[in-house]
Amino acid sequence: MSRERAPSSGAPGLAPRAWFIWSVAAVTVALSTDNPIYRGLVALAALNVLLTWLPPGRRVRPLGLVLLFAAGIAALINLLAGHTGADVIARLPGDWPLVGGALTLESLVFGGVLGLGLAAALLAVAPLSLVLEPHDVVDAMPGPLERTGIAVATSLNLVSGFGRTFTEVGDAQRMRGWKPRGLRSWNEVLVPVVLTAIEDSVMLAESMEARGFGAGRRTSYARATLRRRDVAVAASAAGAAVLFVGLRLAGVAVDWYPYPTLYLPPINPVLVAGCLALALPSLARPAAPVPARRGP
Amino acid sequence: MCGVGRLASVLAATAVALAAAALASLAPGSPMVSSCAGAGSQRAALVVEHGDGSVVTRCVSFGTATVTGEQLLNSSGVAWSGQAFGSYGQAVCALDSEPARYATCPGQENYWAVFVSRGGRAWRLSSAGISSLTLVDGDAEGFRYVPAAGDPTAPPPPAGVCGAVVATAATAAARSSTSTATAASAATATATDAGPSAAAAGSAPATAPTGDATLAAAAGTSAGAASSPPDAAPAAPDTGSGLDPGLLVAAVAGGGLAGLALLRLAAGRRGVT
Repeated sequence: MSRERAPSSGAPGLAPRAWFIWSVAAVTVALSTDNPIYRGLVALAALNVLLTWLPPGRRVRPLGLVLLFAAGIAALINLLAGHTGADVIARLPGDWPLVGGALTLESLVFGGVLGLGLAAALLAVAPLSLVLEPHDVVDAMPGPLERTGIAVATSLNLVSGFGRTFTEVGDAQRMRGWKPRGLRSWNEVLVPVVLTAIEDSVMLAESMEARGFGAGRRTSYARATLRRRDVAVAASAAGAAVLFVGLRLAGVAVDWYPYPTLYLPPINPVLVAGCLALALPSLARPAAPVPARRGP
Repeated sequence: MCGVGRLASVLAATAVALAAAALASLAPGSPMVSSCAGAGSQRAALVVEHGDGSVVTRCVSFGTATVTGEQLLNSSGVAWSGQAFGSYGQAVCALDSEPARYATCPGQENYWAVFVSRGGRAWRLSSAGISSLTLVDGDAEGFRYVPAAGDPTAPPPPAGVCGAVVATAATAAARSSTSTATAASAATATATDAGPSAAAAGSAPATAPTGDATLAAAAGTSAGAASSPPDAAPAAPDTGSGLDPGLLVAAVAGGGLAGLALLRLAAGRRGVT
Protein backbone atom coordinates (compact mmCIF):
# COMPACT_ATOMS: atom_id res chain seq x y z
CA MET A 1 0.00 0.00 0.00
CA SER A 2 1.45 3.32 -0.97
CA ARG A 3 1.41 6.18 1.46
CA GLU A 4 2.45 9.53 0.20
CA ARG A 5 3.97 12.28 2.20
CA ALA A 6 1.65 14.72 3.83
CA PRO A 7 0.25 16.96 1.17
CA SER A 8 1.77 20.35 1.34
CA SER A 9 0.38 23.09 -0.80
CA GLY A 10 0.57 21.97 -4.36
CA ALA A 11 1.91 18.53 -3.49
CA PRO A 12 0.02 15.36 -4.45
CA GLY A 13 -2.93 14.72 -2.23
CA LEU A 14 -6.04 16.50 -1.14
CA ALA A 15 -6.07 20.25 -0.82
CA PRO A 16 -5.96 21.50 2.78
CA ARG A 17 -9.31 23.20 2.36
CA ALA A 18 -10.90 19.92 1.23
CA TRP A 19 -9.50 18.28 4.36
CA PHE A 20 -10.89 21.06 6.50
CA ILE A 21 -14.38 20.77 4.99
CA TRP A 22 -14.28 16.99 5.35
CA SER A 23 -13.25 17.21 9.01
CA VAL A 24 -15.90 19.78 9.92
CA ALA A 25 -18.57 17.75 8.13
CA ALA A 26 -17.55 14.49 9.78
CA VAL A 27 -17.55 16.09 13.23
CA THR A 28 -20.98 17.58 12.52
CA VAL A 29 -22.38 14.19 11.55
CA ALA A 30 -20.80 12.43 14.53
CA LEU A 31 -22.16 14.92 17.03
CA SER A 32 -25.56 15.47 15.47
CA THR A 33 -26.91 12.08 16.41
CA ASP A 34 -26.95 9.74 19.40
CA ASN A 35 -27.46 6.73 17.18
CA PRO A 36 -24.50 4.36 17.73
CA ILE A 37 -24.79 2.88 14.24
CA TYR A 38 -24.23 6.22 12.54
CA ARG A 39 -21.50 7.17 14.98
CA GLY A 40 -19.76 3.85 14.44
CA LEU A 41 -19.95 4.24 10.67
CA VAL A 42 -18.47 7.74 10.88
CA ALA A 43 -15.66 6.45 13.11
CA LEU A 44 -14.90 3.61 10.70
CA ALA A 45 -15.00 5.92 7.69
CA ALA A 46 -12.64 8.37 9.39
CA LEU A 47 -10.32 5.56 10.43
CA ASN A 48 -10.13 4.31 6.84
CA VAL A 49 -9.41 7.80 5.57
CA LEU A 50 -6.71 8.30 8.18
CA LEU A 51 -5.04 4.97 7.43
CA THR A 52 -5.09 5.71 3.71
CA TRP A 53 -3.44 9.10 4.00
CA LEU A 54 -1.21 8.59 7.03
CA PRO A 55 2.31 9.74 6.13
CA PRO A 56 5.22 7.36 6.70
CA GLY A 57 6.72 7.65 10.15
CA ARG A 58 3.49 8.65 11.83
CA ARG A 59 1.62 6.14 13.93
CA VAL A 60 -2.04 5.76 14.85
CA ARG A 61 -1.40 3.65 17.95
CA PRO A 62 -1.08 6.62 20.36
CA LEU A 63 -4.28 8.03 18.94
CA GLY A 64 -5.96 4.65 19.36
CA LEU A 65 -4.93 4.53 23.01
CA VAL A 66 -6.28 8.03 23.59
CA LEU A 67 -9.56 7.05 21.93
CA LEU A 68 -9.90 3.91 24.02
CA PHE A 69 -9.13 5.84 27.18
CA ALA A 70 -11.62 8.60 26.39
CA ALA A 71 -14.37 6.17 25.41
CA GLY A 72 -13.73 4.04 28.48
CA ILE A 73 -13.88 7.04 30.79
CA ALA A 74 -17.15 8.20 29.21
CA ALA A 75 -18.71 4.76 29.61
CA LEU A 76 -17.49 4.46 33.19
CA ILE A 77 -18.78 7.87 34.24
CA ASN A 78 -22.20 7.23 32.74
CA LEU A 79 -22.34 3.78 34.31
CA LEU A 80 -21.58 5.19 37.74
CA ALA A 81 -23.64 8.37 37.54
CA GLY A 82 -26.72 7.18 35.66
CA HIS A 83 -28.85 4.75 37.61
CA THR A 84 -31.69 4.33 35.16
CA GLY A 85 -32.37 1.16 33.25
CA ALA A 86 -34.11 -2.18 33.41
CA ASP A 87 -31.10 -4.49 33.50
CA VAL A 88 -29.23 -4.10 36.77
CA ILE A 89 -25.62 -5.28 36.68
CA ALA A 90 -24.66 -4.47 40.27
CA ARG A 91 -25.55 -2.21 43.15
CA LEU A 92 -23.36 0.20 45.07
CA PRO A 93 -24.29 1.33 48.58
CA GLY A 94 -26.96 3.99 48.34
CA ASP A 95 -25.19 6.34 50.76
CA TRP A 96 -22.24 6.78 48.39
CA PRO A 97 -22.59 10.23 46.85
CA LEU A 98 -23.38 10.32 43.14
CA VAL A 99 -22.33 6.75 42.37
CA GLY A 100 -24.50 5.01 44.97
CA GLY A 101 -27.37 2.96 43.59
CA ALA A 102 -28.00 0.51 40.80
CA LEU A 103 -25.51 0.16 37.96
CA THR A 104 -27.40 -0.71 34.83
CA LEU A 105 -26.53 -2.16 31.45
CA GLU A 106 -28.43 0.66 29.77
CA SER A 107 -26.26 3.29 31.44
CA LEU A 108 -23.14 1.42 30.42
CA VAL A 109 -24.27 1.14 26.81
CA PHE A 110 -25.28 4.79 26.61
CA GLY A 111 -21.92 5.77 28.09
CA GLY A 112 -20.27 3.67 25.42
CA VAL A 113 -22.29 5.48 22.78
CA LEU A 114 -21.10 8.80 24.17
CA GLY A 115 -17.54 7.52 24.02
CA LEU A 116 -18.11 6.34 20.46
CA GLY A 117 -19.22 9.84 19.50
CA LEU A 118 -16.11 11.25 21.10
CA ALA A 119 -13.93 8.74 19.25
CA ALA A 120 -15.62 9.49 15.93
CA ALA A 121 -15.13 13.23 16.41
CA LEU A 122 -11.47 12.79 17.34
CA LEU A 123 -10.85 10.54 14.35
CA ALA A 124 -12.51 13.15 12.15
CA VAL A 125 -10.10 15.89 13.21
CA ALA A 126 -7.07 13.61 13.39
CA PRO A 127 -6.03 14.23 9.74
CA LEU A 128 -5.60 17.93 10.56
CA SER A 129 -2.83 16.91 12.92
CA LEU A 130 -1.47 13.66 11.49
CA VAL A 131 -1.83 14.18 7.74
CA LEU A 132 -1.52 17.92 7.22
CA GLU A 133 1.42 20.11 8.12
CA PRO A 134 0.70 23.00 10.49
CA HIS A 135 0.94 25.59 7.71
CA ASP A 136 -1.54 23.53 5.68
CA VAL A 137 -4.03 23.84 8.53
CA VAL A 138 -3.57 27.60 8.48
CA ASP A 139 -4.12 27.64 4.71
CA ALA A 140 -7.22 25.50 5.07
CA MET A 141 -9.03 28.11 7.10
CA PRO A 142 -11.05 30.82 5.38
CA GLY A 143 -9.35 34.25 5.32
CA PRO A 144 -11.23 35.75 8.28
CA LEU A 145 -10.37 32.72 10.40
CA GLU A 146 -6.64 32.87 9.67
CA ARG A 147 -5.68 33.61 13.27
CA THR A 148 -8.01 30.89 14.47
CA GLY A 149 -6.26 28.56 12.09
CA ILE A 150 -2.91 29.47 13.55
CA ALA A 151 -4.21 28.83 17.05
CA VAL A 152 -5.67 25.47 16.00
CA ALA A 153 -2.48 24.47 14.20
CA THR A 154 -0.37 25.46 17.18
CA SER A 155 -2.60 23.56 19.58
CA LEU A 156 -2.58 20.44 17.44
CA ASN A 157 1.17 20.68 17.15
CA LEU A 158 1.56 21.02 20.90
CA VAL A 159 -0.53 17.91 21.54
CA SER A 160 1.76 15.71 19.51
CA GLY A 161 4.80 17.51 20.96
CA PHE A 162 3.51 16.82 24.44
CA GLY A 163 3.27 13.11 23.61
CA ARG A 164 6.79 13.06 22.22
CA THR A 165 8.16 14.82 25.28
CA PHE A 166 6.36 12.37 27.55
CA THR A 167 7.95 9.43 25.76
CA GLU A 168 11.41 11.02 25.76
CA VAL A 169 11.33 12.00 29.42
CA GLY A 170 9.99 8.59 30.40
CA ASP A 171 12.76 6.83 28.48
CA ALA A 172 15.41 9.11 29.99
CA GLN A 173 14.17 8.47 33.53
CA ARG A 174 14.10 4.72 32.95
CA MET A 175 17.70 4.85 31.80
CA ARG A 176 18.49 6.51 35.11
CA GLY A 177 16.88 3.60 36.92
CA TRP A 178 13.42 5.01 37.51
CA LYS A 179 10.52 2.56 37.71
CA PRO A 180 6.84 3.39 38.09
CA ARG A 181 5.80 2.64 41.66
CA GLY A 182 2.37 4.04 42.32
CA LEU A 183 0.96 7.42 41.40
CA ARG A 184 3.54 9.47 43.32
CA SER A 185 6.43 8.07 41.34
CA TRP A 186 4.98 9.58 38.14
CA ASN A 187 5.90 13.02 39.49
CA GLU A 188 9.41 12.35 38.28
CA VAL A 189 8.10 12.14 34.72
CA LEU A 190 5.20 14.59 34.77
CA VAL A 191 7.07 17.53 36.29
CA PRO A 192 9.82 17.57 33.62
CA VAL A 193 7.17 17.07 30.92
CA VAL A 194 5.15 20.08 32.09
CA LEU A 195 8.27 22.23 32.43
CA THR A 196 9.41 21.23 28.95
CA ALA A 197 5.95 22.03 27.53
CA ILE A 198 6.03 25.50 29.09
CA GLU A 199 9.53 26.08 27.77
CA ASP A 200 8.47 24.94 24.28
CA SER A 201 5.47 27.26 24.35
CA VAL A 202 7.60 30.26 25.28
CA MET A 203 10.07 29.38 22.54
CA LEU A 204 7.25 29.04 20.00
CA ALA A 205 5.84 32.41 20.96
CA GLU A 206 9.26 34.05 20.58
CA SER A 207 9.77 32.37 17.20
CA MET A 208 6.40 33.56 15.96
CA GLU A 209 7.09 37.08 17.13
CA ALA A 210 10.53 37.05 15.50
CA ARG A 211 8.90 36.02 12.21
CA GLY A 212 6.45 38.88 12.33
CA PHE A 213 3.32 37.11 13.52
CA GLY A 214 0.52 39.63 13.78
CA ALA A 215 2.35 42.25 11.72
CA GLY A 216 0.18 41.77 8.69
CA ARG A 217 -1.72 39.33 6.52
CA ARG A 218 0.03 36.03 5.99
CA THR A 219 1.30 35.42 2.48
CA SER A 220 2.37 32.18 0.84
CA TYR A 221 4.71 31.34 -1.98
CA ALA A 222 2.39 28.81 -3.58
CA ARG A 223 -1.35 28.51 -3.22
CA ALA A 224 -3.18 25.22 -3.47
CA THR A 225 -5.97 24.97 -6.00
CA LEU A 226 -9.06 22.85 -5.61
CA ARG A 227 -9.06 20.04 -8.12
CA ARG A 228 -11.94 17.83 -9.16
CA ARG A 229 -11.05 15.27 -6.51
CA ASP A 230 -10.97 17.92 -3.80
CA VAL A 231 -14.33 19.27 -4.86
CA ALA A 232 -15.82 15.76 -4.87
CA VAL A 233 -14.55 15.04 -1.36
CA ALA A 234 -15.69 18.39 0.00
CA ALA A 235 -19.08 18.20 -1.68
CA SER A 236 -19.83 14.65 -0.53
CA ALA A 237 -18.83 15.44 3.04
CA ALA A 238 -20.80 18.67 3.13
CA GLY A 239 -23.76 16.84 1.63
CA ALA A 240 -23.63 14.25 4.40
CA ALA A 241 -23.57 16.97 7.06
CA VAL A 242 -26.45 18.85 5.44
CA LEU A 243 -28.41 15.58 5.22
CA PHE A 244 -28.05 14.84 8.93
CA VAL A 245 -28.72 18.39 10.08
CA GLY A 246 -31.61 18.79 7.64
CA LEU A 247 -33.32 15.58 8.70
CA ARG A 248 -32.89 16.56 12.33
CA LEU A 249 -34.47 19.93 11.69
CA ALA A 250 -37.24 18.21 9.75
CA GLY A 251 -38.02 16.10 12.79
CA VAL A 252 -36.93 12.77 11.35
CA ALA A 253 -35.62 10.67 14.22
CA VAL A 254 -31.88 10.13 14.05
CA ASP A 255 -31.29 9.63 17.77
CA TRP A 256 -31.39 6.58 19.97
CA TYR A 257 -31.94 6.36 23.69
CA PRO A 258 -31.50 2.98 25.37
CA TYR A 259 -33.70 3.83 28.34
CA PRO A 260 -35.57 2.21 29.93
CA THR A 261 -34.61 -0.99 28.10
CA LEU A 262 -32.19 -1.73 25.29
CA TYR A 263 -33.50 -2.10 21.78
CA LEU A 264 -32.05 -2.06 18.28
CA PRO A 265 -31.44 1.47 16.97
CA PRO A 266 -33.69 2.54 14.09
CA ILE A 267 -31.73 2.91 10.87
CA ASN A 268 -32.46 5.06 7.86
CA PRO A 269 -30.63 3.75 4.76
CA VAL A 270 -30.30 7.29 3.41
CA LEU A 271 -28.35 8.32 6.50
CA VAL A 272 -26.18 5.20 6.17
CA ALA A 273 -25.34 6.38 2.66
CA GLY A 274 -24.49 9.77 4.12
CA CYS A 275 -22.03 8.15 6.53
CA LEU A 276 -20.48 6.16 3.69
CA ALA A 277 -19.97 9.36 1.71
CA LEU A 278 -17.50 10.41 4.37
CA ALA A 279 -15.29 7.47 3.39
CA LEU A 280 -14.76 8.90 -0.09
CA PRO A 281 -11.26 10.28 0.65
CA SER A 282 -10.10 6.73 1.36
CA LEU A 283 -10.88 5.93 -2.28
CA ALA A 284 -9.20 9.07 -3.61
CA ARG A 285 -5.65 7.79 -3.88
CA PRO A 286 -2.76 10.25 -4.02
CA ALA A 287 -1.99 11.30 -7.59
CA ALA A 288 0.87 12.87 -9.46
CA PRO A 289 1.98 16.35 -8.44
CA VAL A 290 -0.01 19.20 -9.84
CA PRO A 291 1.81 22.40 -10.78
CA ALA A 292 1.16 24.99 -8.16
CA ARG A 293 -0.12 28.39 -9.06
CA ARG A 294 2.10 31.22 -7.98
CA GLY A 295 0.65 33.21 -5.15
CA PRO A 296 0.94 36.92 -4.48
CA MET B 1 -37.24 62.03 1.47
CA CYS B 2 -40.93 61.26 1.38
CA GLY B 3 -40.24 58.37 -0.94
CA VAL B 4 -37.63 57.03 1.41
CA GLY B 5 -40.04 57.32 4.31
CA ARG B 6 -42.73 55.49 2.37
CA LEU B 7 -40.29 52.76 1.40
CA ALA B 8 -39.27 52.43 5.03
CA SER B 9 -42.93 52.17 6.03
CA VAL B 10 -43.59 49.50 3.46
CA LEU B 11 -40.51 47.59 4.55
CA ALA B 12 -41.50 47.89 8.19
CA ALA B 13 -45.02 46.71 7.44
CA THR B 14 -43.68 43.81 5.43
CA ALA B 15 -41.31 42.90 8.24
CA VAL B 16 -44.12 43.02 10.78
CA ALA B 17 -46.32 40.90 8.55
CA LEU B 18 -43.57 38.36 8.01
CA ALA B 19 -42.83 38.26 11.72
CA ALA B 20 -46.51 37.75 12.47
CA ALA B 21 -46.69 34.98 9.89
CA ALA B 22 -43.61 33.35 11.34
CA LEU B 23 -45.01 33.54 14.85
CA ALA B 24 -48.31 32.14 13.62
CA SER B 25 -46.50 29.24 12.02
CA LEU B 26 -44.59 28.58 15.23
CA ALA B 27 -47.70 28.66 17.38
CA PRO B 28 -49.32 25.30 17.98
CA GLY B 29 -52.10 24.66 15.57
CA SER B 30 -55.60 23.88 16.54
CA PRO B 31 -55.48 20.77 18.68
CA MET B 32 -56.37 17.58 16.97
CA VAL B 33 -58.05 16.43 20.11
CA SER B 34 -61.09 18.46 20.77
CA SER B 35 -62.24 19.11 24.26
CA CYS B 36 -65.74 19.87 23.07
CA ALA B 37 -68.67 17.61 23.68
CA GLY B 38 -69.18 14.90 21.11
CA ALA B 39 -66.40 16.30 18.97
CA GLY B 40 -64.89 13.00 18.06
CA SER B 41 -65.95 9.48 17.35
CA GLN B 42 -62.52 7.97 18.01
CA ARG B 43 -61.53 7.04 21.51
CA ALA B 44 -58.34 6.09 23.29
CA ALA B 45 -57.82 5.11 26.87
CA LEU B 46 -55.37 6.54 29.35
CA VAL B 47 -54.20 4.55 32.36
CA VAL B 48 -51.97 6.09 35.00
CA GLU B 49 -50.66 4.04 37.90
CA HIS B 50 -48.95 5.91 40.69
CA GLY B 51 -46.09 4.66 42.79
CA ASP B 52 -48.46 3.84 45.64
CA GLY B 53 -50.59 1.66 43.38
CA SER B 54 -53.49 4.05 42.92
CA VAL B 55 -54.84 4.14 39.40
CA VAL B 56 -56.38 6.95 37.36
CA THR B 57 -58.11 6.15 34.08
CA ARG B 58 -59.59 8.33 31.37
CA CYS B 59 -61.31 7.73 28.09
CA VAL B 60 -60.57 10.51 25.61
CA SER B 61 -62.53 11.15 22.44
CA PHE B 62 -60.96 12.71 19.41
CA GLY B 63 -62.14 13.57 15.94
CA THR B 64 -59.10 12.80 13.83
CA ALA B 65 -57.69 9.53 12.56
CA THR B 66 -54.66 9.64 14.83
CA VAL B 67 -53.56 11.46 17.92
CA THR B 68 -50.20 11.72 19.62
CA GLY B 69 -49.64 10.53 23.14
CA GLU B 70 -48.96 14.10 24.19
CA GLN B 71 -52.26 15.33 22.77
CA LEU B 72 -54.10 12.49 24.44
CA LEU B 73 -52.53 13.38 27.77
CA ASN B 74 -53.33 17.06 27.30
CA SER B 75 -56.94 16.31 26.50
CA SER B 76 -57.33 13.94 29.40
CA GLY B 77 -56.97 16.80 31.84
CA VAL B 78 -54.38 14.97 33.89
CA ALA B 79 -51.72 17.51 34.81
CA TRP B 80 -48.22 16.70 33.66
CA SER B 81 -44.90 18.29 32.91
CA GLY B 82 -42.17 17.01 30.67
CA GLN B 83 -38.89 17.61 29.03
CA ALA B 84 -37.94 17.25 25.39
CA PHE B 85 -35.05 14.94 24.57
CA GLY B 86 -34.18 15.63 20.95
CA SER B 87 -35.91 13.39 18.51
CA TYR B 88 -36.91 11.05 21.33
CA GLY B 89 -39.64 13.55 22.03
CA GLN B 90 -41.28 14.53 25.24
CA ALA B 91 -40.45 12.54 28.35
CA VAL B 92 -42.92 12.75 31.21
CA CYS B 93 -41.19 14.10 34.30
CA ALA B 94 -44.17 14.59 36.61
CA LEU B 95 -47.67 13.30 36.18
CA ASP B 96 -50.74 13.83 38.29
CA SER B 97 -48.69 15.55 41.00
CA GLU B 98 -46.15 12.76 41.24
CA PRO B 99 -43.44 13.66 41.99
CA ALA B 100 -44.51 16.95 43.51
CA ARG B 101 -41.08 18.36 42.74
CA TYR B 102 -38.17 17.05 40.78
CA ALA B 103 -34.62 18.14 40.13
CA THR B 104 -33.69 15.73 37.36
CA CYS B 105 -35.69 14.21 34.57
CA PRO B 106 -35.93 11.26 34.38
CA GLY B 107 -35.72 10.95 38.13
CA GLN B 108 -32.77 9.25 39.77
CA GLU B 109 -34.98 7.02 41.92
CA ASN B 110 -38.23 6.71 39.99
CA TYR B 111 -39.55 7.74 36.59
CA TRP B 112 -42.70 7.51 34.53
CA ALA B 113 -42.50 4.54 32.20
CA VAL B 114 -44.66 4.88 29.09
CA PHE B 115 -46.63 1.98 27.65
CA VAL B 116 -48.79 1.54 24.59
CA SER B 117 -51.59 -0.90 23.96
CA ARG B 118 -52.65 -1.38 20.35
CA GLY B 119 -56.25 -2.36 19.73
CA GLY B 120 -56.79 -3.74 23.20
CA ARG B 121 -53.72 -5.96 23.17
CA ALA B 122 -51.17 -6.20 25.98
CA TRP B 123 -49.06 -3.26 27.07
CA ARG B 124 -45.79 -2.71 25.28
CA LEU B 125 -43.08 -0.52 26.68
CA SER B 126 -42.62 2.53 24.49
CA SER B 127 -39.17 3.50 23.35
CA ALA B 128 -40.35 6.86 22.11
CA GLY B 129 -41.47 9.96 23.92
CA ILE B 130 -45.16 10.73 24.16
CA SER B 131 -44.92 13.38 21.46
CA SER B 132 -43.63 10.72 19.06
CA LEU B 133 -46.32 8.17 19.91
CA THR B 134 -49.20 7.85 17.49
CA LEU B 135 -52.47 6.41 18.71
CA VAL B 136 -55.60 5.46 16.83
CA ASP B 137 -59.10 4.50 17.82
CA GLY B 138 -59.03 1.65 20.35
CA ASP B 139 -55.44 2.20 21.43
CA ALA B 140 -54.39 3.05 24.95
CA GLU B 141 -51.57 4.99 26.54
CA GLY B 142 -50.32 3.87 29.92
CA PHE B 143 -48.03 5.33 32.54
CA ARG B 144 -46.57 3.73 35.61
CA TYR B 145 -44.28 5.33 38.15
CA VAL B 146 -41.52 2.74 38.43
CA PRO B 147 -38.13 2.51 40.12
CA ALA B 148 -35.30 3.78 37.95
CA ALA B 149 -33.50 0.46 38.17
CA GLY B 150 -35.12 -2.80 37.25
CA ASP B 151 -37.62 -4.07 34.75
CA PRO B 152 -40.58 -1.68 34.54
CA THR B 153 -43.88 -3.45 35.09
CA ALA B 154 -46.95 -2.48 33.16
CA PRO B 155 -49.98 -0.62 34.51
CA PRO B 156 -53.41 -2.31 34.72
CA PRO B 157 -54.87 -3.46 31.42
CA PRO B 158 -56.83 -0.78 29.56
CA ALA B 159 -59.74 -3.09 28.82
CA GLY B 160 -63.01 -1.53 29.81
CA VAL B 161 -61.73 2.01 30.19
CA CYS B 162 -63.46 2.96 26.96
CA GLY B 163 -65.94 0.11 26.90
CA ALA B 164 -65.65 -2.01 23.78
CA VAL B 165 -62.37 -1.64 21.93
CA VAL B 166 -63.94 -1.10 18.56
CA ALA B 167 -66.95 1.11 18.63
CA THR B 168 -69.07 2.39 15.83
CA ALA B 169 -69.33 6.08 15.33
CA ALA B 170 -72.90 6.12 16.51
CA THR B 171 -72.10 4.25 19.67
CA ALA B 172 -69.11 6.41 20.31
CA ALA B 173 -71.16 9.55 19.81
CA ALA B 174 -73.78 8.26 22.19
CA ARG B 175 -71.14 7.45 24.77
CA SER B 176 -69.57 10.80 24.27
CA SER B 177 -72.85 12.55 24.93
CA THR B 178 -73.36 10.37 27.97
CA SER B 179 -70.00 11.37 29.26
CA THR B 180 -70.93 14.98 28.65
CA ALA B 181 -73.55 14.72 31.28
CA THR B 182 -71.48 12.78 33.74
CA ALA B 183 -67.98 14.09 33.24
CA ALA B 184 -67.78 16.06 36.44
CA SER B 185 -69.02 13.32 38.70
CA ALA B 186 -67.17 10.62 36.82
CA ALA B 187 -63.83 12.32 37.21
CA THR B 188 -64.32 12.59 40.93
CA ALA B 189 -65.51 9.01 41.13
CA THR B 190 -62.37 7.81 39.42
CA ALA B 191 -60.13 9.31 42.00
CA THR B 192 -62.26 8.01 44.83
CA ASP B 193 -62.33 4.50 43.43
CA ALA B 194 -58.67 4.53 42.73
CA GLY B 195 -57.88 4.74 46.38
CA PRO B 196 -57.73 7.18 49.20
CA SER B 197 -54.09 7.97 48.62
CA ALA B 198 -54.83 9.42 45.23
CA ALA B 199 -57.60 11.55 46.62
CA ALA B 200 -55.36 12.64 49.45
CA ALA B 201 -52.74 13.66 46.97
CA GLY B 202 -55.34 15.89 45.41
CA SER B 203 -54.96 14.29 42.04
CA ALA B 204 -58.55 14.36 40.90
CA PRO B 205 -59.58 17.84 41.94
CA ALA B 206 -56.36 19.32 40.69
CA THR B 207 -56.13 17.53 37.41
CA ALA B 208 -59.55 16.54 36.23
CA PRO B 209 -61.21 19.48 34.54
CA THR B 210 -64.81 19.00 35.46
CA GLY B 211 -65.97 20.87 32.42
CA ASP B 212 -64.18 18.62 29.96
CA ALA B 213 -67.01 16.77 28.40
CA THR B 214 -64.87 14.43 26.36
CA LEU B 215 -63.60 12.74 29.45
CA ALA B 216 -65.44 9.63 30.38
CA ALA B 217 -63.71 8.30 33.44
CA ALA B 218 -64.49 4.62 33.83
CA ALA B 219 -64.88 4.35 37.56
CA GLY B 220 -65.64 0.65 37.57
CA THR B 221 -62.63 -0.21 35.51
CA SER B 222 -60.39 1.84 37.70
CA ALA B 223 -61.60 0.13 40.83
CA GLY B 224 -61.23 -3.28 39.27
CA ALA B 225 -57.77 -2.53 38.08
CA ALA B 226 -56.68 -1.26 41.43
CA SER B 227 -57.87 -4.41 43.11
CA SER B 228 -55.78 -6.58 40.82
CA PRO B 229 -52.20 -5.41 40.92
CA PRO B 230 -50.55 -5.76 37.54
CA ASP B 231 -47.23 -7.46 37.79
CA ALA B 232 -46.99 -8.72 34.28
CA ALA B 233 -43.78 -7.67 32.57
CA PRO B 234 -44.31 -5.63 29.45
CA ALA B 235 -43.44 -6.86 26.00
CA ALA B 236 -40.46 -5.58 24.08
CA PRO B 237 -40.28 -1.84 23.47
CA ASP B 238 -42.62 -0.55 20.83
CA THR B 239 -40.36 1.00 18.24
CA GLY B 240 -43.22 1.70 15.94
CA SER B 241 -41.99 -0.58 13.19
CA GLY B 242 -41.15 -4.19 12.56
CA LEU B 243 -37.97 -5.50 10.98
CA ASP B 244 -35.73 -2.65 10.03
CA PRO B 245 -34.10 -3.28 6.63
CA GLY B 246 -31.81 -0.33 7.28
CA LEU B 247 -30.09 -2.37 9.95
CA LEU B 248 -28.99 -4.88 7.32
CA VAL B 249 -27.62 -2.09 5.12
CA ALA B 250 -25.77 -0.61 8.08
CA ALA B 251 -24.33 -4.01 9.01
CA VAL B 252 -23.01 -4.55 5.49
CA ALA B 253 -21.57 -1.03 5.33
CA GLY B 254 -20.01 -1.27 8.78
CA GLY B 255 -18.55 -4.71 8.03
CA GLY B 256 -17.04 -3.45 4.80
CA LEU B 257 -15.46 -0.41 6.43
CA ALA B 258 -14.16 -2.46 9.36
CA GLY B 259 -12.69 -5.04 7.00
CA LEU B 260 -10.97 -2.37 4.95
CA ALA B 261 -9.55 -0.76 8.08
CA LEU B 262 -8.20 -4.10 9.30
CA LEU B 263 -6.62 -4.79 5.92
CA ARG B 264 -4.94 -1.37 5.93
CA LEU B 265 -3.70 -1.86 9.47
CA ALA B 266 -2.28 -5.27 8.61
CA ALA B 267 -0.66 -3.91 5.46
CA GLY B 268 0.84 -1.05 7.45
CA ARG B 269 2.35 -3.47 9.97
CA ARG B 270 3.89 -5.56 7.24
CA GLY B 271 5.33 -2.40 5.75
CA VAL B 272 3.72 -2.96 2.38
CA THR B 273 4.25 0.03 0.18
